[in-house]
Parts: sequence; C-alpha cells; structure tokens
Amino acid sequence: MRTYLIDDEGKEIIVDLTRSKVHDYNLVEFDYQTLEDNKQTNKETMWVKKVSGQYFVSNDQKNWAKIPRQDLPSRMINVNTTYSIFRGFKPSGLAGADEGELLTKMPGKIVKIIAEVGQEVKKGETLIILEAMKMENEIKSGLDGVVKAIHVSEGDALEQNVLMMEVEAK
Amino acid sequence: MMIRQPQNESRRIMIANRGEIASRVAKACRELGHTPIGLWTDNEPEATHLQFCDEWVHLEGASNAETYLNPEKILKIAKENNVHAIHPGYGFLSENADFARTLEANGITFIGPNTEAIRVMGDKAISKRLANEAGVPTVPGTDTAVPTVEEAVRISNDIGYPVLLKAVAGGGGRGMRACESEADVRANFEAVGRESLAAFNNGDLLVEKLILNPRHVEVQILADKKGNIFHFFERECSVQRRHQKIIEEAPSPFIGNDEAVRQDLCETAVKLAKAVDYDSAGTVEFIMAEDKSFYFLEMNTRIQVEHPITEEITGMDLIVCMIQSALGDELGIPSQEFITRTGHAIECRICAEDPITMLPAPGLVTGFETNFPQGTRFDHCMYKGLEVTPDFDPMVGKLVCKGIVRDVALRKMRAALDGLFIEGLKTNKPLLKEILKEEKFCEGDYSTSYIKEIAPQDKVDTSFNHHRFYTVLAGVEARRMGI
Repeated sequence: MRTYLIDDEGKEIIVDLTRSKVHDYNLVEFDYQTLEDNKQTNKETMWVKKVSGQYFVSNDQKNWAKIPRQDLPSRMINVNTTYSIFRGFKPSGLAGADEGELLTKMPGKIVKIIAEVGQEVKKGETLIILEAMKMENEIKSGLDGVVKAIHVSEGDALEQNVLMMEVEAK
Repeated sequence: MMIRQPQNESRRIMIANRGEIASRVAKACRELGHTPIGLWTDNEPEATHLQFCDEWVHLEGASNAETYLNPEKILKIAKENNVHAIHPGYGFLSENADFARTLEANGITFIGPNTEAIRVMGDKAISKRLANEAGVPTVPGTDTAVPTVEEAVRISNDIGYPVLLKAVAGGGGRGMRACESEADVRANFEAVGRESLAAFNNGDLLVEKLILNPRHVEVQILADKKGNIFHFFERECSVQRRHQKIIEEAPSPFIGNDEAVRQDLCETAVKLAKAVDYDSAGTVEFIMAEDKSFYFLEMNTRIQVEHPITEEITGMDLIVCMIQSALGDELGIPSQEFITRTGHAIECRICAEDPITMLPAPGLVTGFETNFPQGTRFDHCMYKGLEVTPDFDPMVGKLVCKGIVRDVALRKMRAALDGLFIEGLKTNKPLLKEILKEEKFCEGDYSTSYIKEIAPQDKVDTSFNHHRFYTVLAGVEARRMGI
C-alpha cells in the first residue's frame, strides 16, 4: 500500500508499506520504506502490539513506545509542516500557490488592506492585516512587483486557502 | 489542634466560560456540593467542559460577541435557570465591572472581587495612580490616556527609548507594543489602538518606559469578604512570546533563596490589595529589574491561567477558595502562616500553534494520548476529534509538573512532554522541549526577552522524521486490520 504525503508547497513524500504479517490477535509486523528519487530509503520494520486497549510500537520487540489511537488522519504534522495524506492514489490539481498569490493560511477576518491595485510593492512589505485567533497577522508580499488584483474587502470573514490578493512580478 | 474546614450549603453556579478553565471550575463546584451549570454554544456543541457539569444550558449564537461576551444573554439565561452565582473563569467577562454590577443588581453573585476593585484595577491609569498613593513602586510613564501620536512621541522623548505602548484596558499581553525609536511609535500607535478597540472596546493608549532584561514576577492574592487578605507566594512568568506567557514557574528562580526580597514583594502585593479592599482571588503583577527592585505592573482581578503552579506548591485549591469567598463562606485559612510552600512547580502552556513562527494553527485533533510521569497534572480540553477553531484562544491545555527542587520539576516536565501525544494539530510541544533542555533556562537565568534573545525556535529540528510517520501509519494500519 502506497501513501502520499503532500505538504503545502506541493512537495511529496511517498511511503510504501511493503509487507505486513499478522503474528497474533494482538501483534502485527509491518515493513515500511520511503521512495525518494526512485530510490528506496529508510527501511524499517515496525511491530504493533495492543496491550490493555492501547497501542504500542517497536522496532525490535524490546523497546515499546505508546502511540495515540487514531483512524487514518487526513493530515499529519511534522514539527511545523502539515502534510495531506492520500492512500493508494495521487491527487491531481494540488499545485503549490504561486509566490504572488496571497492565500489565507487559516480562517480569519480582514482588518485592513494596506496596498491598492496598481501599487508597486517590495518583497516582505505588509499588504493585508488579517485577524485570527485574537491576533493581528501581517500578510506580506512574496516578491517585488505590482498589485494586480484585490479579491477581498475590509471586514470580510474568510475560510482557509482563499485568494486575497494577486501580485505580479515586475 | 486539628484545623477543621467549614461546611457550606449547596447552590447553583453557572460557568460563563469554556474550555479548560470551565472544566476546572466545574470540578471545584462539585467538590463543594454546588451544582455546576455549563453553557454550550452553536459553534461548539460538544464542548469538553460539559462532561464535568451537572446541567447544560444552550447559549444561542456562533460568535464570541453573541455568546460568552454578551452580558445580557448570560444574565437572561442565569435568571431563567435560577442561578445563585456565576463564575466567569478568565478572559471573556471576567474583568468586566459592568457585568458584575448588573449581576449584583439582579441578585446573582459574581464569583470575583467587588465591582469597585475590578473597575479600579481594570484601568491601568487609575491603578497606577492608586499604587503610587499606596506606596507601591511603579514604572515611569503616563498614567492617563495619550490622545494623539504627537503627544505619545513627546512623552517618549521625555522618558527615553525604548518605550512601551499599551492599551488602557488591555490584559493578557494583548494591546501592547515595544517601540525602539520615534519612527516605531508613529508606525505602531494606530495599530495598537485599533487592536485594543477591537479586543476591549476601548482604544485609549498609555506610554511608559521599558525596563531592560526585566523579569515578570507576580504574587497570588486571596481575600475574603471579611477583610482577610492572604498571599500565596510568587510565580515567575518570564518566558513569553508576544507578551503572552508560555512557561511559568513557582517559586521564582530569580528570587531563589532571597527570602527578604520574597517577603517584601509579597507584602507589597498584599498592601496594594488592601488599598482596593480586595475580596477574591487575584494576582498582582510586578516587573523585576536586574537588581531585584520591582515595579507594579497591573493587577488581574480574576483567577489566572497559571494558578495551578501555586496550587501545586501550596497544596491549596484556589478556585474552591474563590467560590467560598464570593459566596460568603468561610475560607478555612486561620492565618498567613498556615500557607506554606514546598518544592517547585512548572507549567507549560500547550497551544495549537506553529512551533517556529508561534502563530496560531487551528485544526482537527486526530489522535490524543498521554503517558505521564507520576504526579503530572494536565488541565486540558482535548479529545480525539476535537476541532480547534480560530474563534477561541489557541491554548488547549496546561501541563503542570512538581518536584522537590527545580531540577526534578524540569526532569518530570521533559518526560511529560515526551509522553504527550497530540496528532493532527500543530502544537508548540517541539518548542517547549527545546526550551526545557536549553542551558540558560535550566539555570533559571532568563528574562522576558528570552524567546527573542535565545531564539529556541531556531533549534527545533524540522527535518522529516521517517520513524514518526511509520509509527503513525503502522498504528492506523493495525487498527484497520482489527487488532
């Protein structure tokens, strides 16, 4: 079974489950590996055991680490990167956002729009102030260029991944 | 002689809050034999705190302004449900004097201090003036609202940079901005005013001098309606980001064994509380300079997020005491000497946020499990399937560890963080783990600019952890196979 992990920028990591073996009603063994540039890396054998209703995992059947019980999540977190999870298929149309496209990273409310259409902006310049979770976030330009279009207005409440503004490179 | 605790009659107490603190208050109510009544709103029908309440009431509305921040609606529901008292928790209406006054007028007890104390302490300018009158030292700066940018710049030039712009009605670190130069003051004046207008419905700002390498030290106060005021020693909350605390400890490692400073600090706090006839649980916040001289910052007229560490070192239940005090029951504390402290406690706030940028990151909790060392306390509102929405504060839990000395508390905290599993949600756990093994923090040598100076977020390892992903996938696969 192949699992695709795709992050916000569209980079993908492919994890293959190459072998699974059931040893007992509460003990299974899995072989995992990662596919990178058509090379198989990071091969690991994982044992999963259920003890008193909780799941434990081990590489060597000696050291067991507890794992949270969960169903297949739609996303997984590695420290600060969020991966979308797809099992067995690779989705299409998941291109990463262009640097000039300002998307909402989280749901929030537009407090102030600083730039105007046609205005020249520099990389790192604050263009929009978005309020989310009681905080004002400054949305900055990803490149030097000219504001091409503004799709929102002040006071708008937005969902995640909404296009707020487009900046065209000079 | 055995010290006996007083009995009290049973009452109906409504909790006008949500999340972790609502659960905590509900537990205290049940302990005292009161009936805790929980509220649920349209945007959170499966609120975690409801499982600890005896009765649930629907609070219509989907935004905070329509629900927990709406005094009329809460009062109406309280009257309909024959409520004797309301506990506001922290945040929301906890420091709203008008709300407390309205409740009083309708014969409902507000579990908190008297309205006059809330009013005085809620206004930074008035509280500073009162502190000066009571002989409590304060930080140089204005004590009345600054109307214009020009005025702010003039005052800043007078007292010298760096200066701090802060909201008159602010709290919890919100509506505050440090300015290094005149240009900074001009750039930030409008934004801070707007932020505080949105958050506290009051856009007035103050200007004051910024103390270098300050430590944030606060004293827990508890008072009853009969004029007894006790202190519960100090807490240090210097590890902050965006002026909001993330790690707190008690007692302060900076004060350490300096009992004279500790005594002076705690007595000063009690003196201030006496000056406003304080009659509930509250916190007097001080800023401590490098020479251990301290200045009054503000008084929080509510229970605070970090109250558990004080409970851990003193063995007292502050929420229980707060309820007893508000309802006019006996506290069961014979004297200040009755309150003693042992050991050292540390609290880490677990927030749904990016560990590097420290910006809020809402999401769905797909897995939650704990494996803690003995004696760990985790006050939380987590469960598998919880949707952390941007409507509320990103804090989802408070991890508290106590040890006989600071090193033991740190050791326990490291083990506790290792044993805290939250899947599907970005949390600040990797950052907290970095801080807890960072040398300066372990020595207790840090100031409020710790995060800025040491930048522990840069040390967080962000490389792809294959083993971790295999673990999660193997766990999911095993469950799918039916073991």
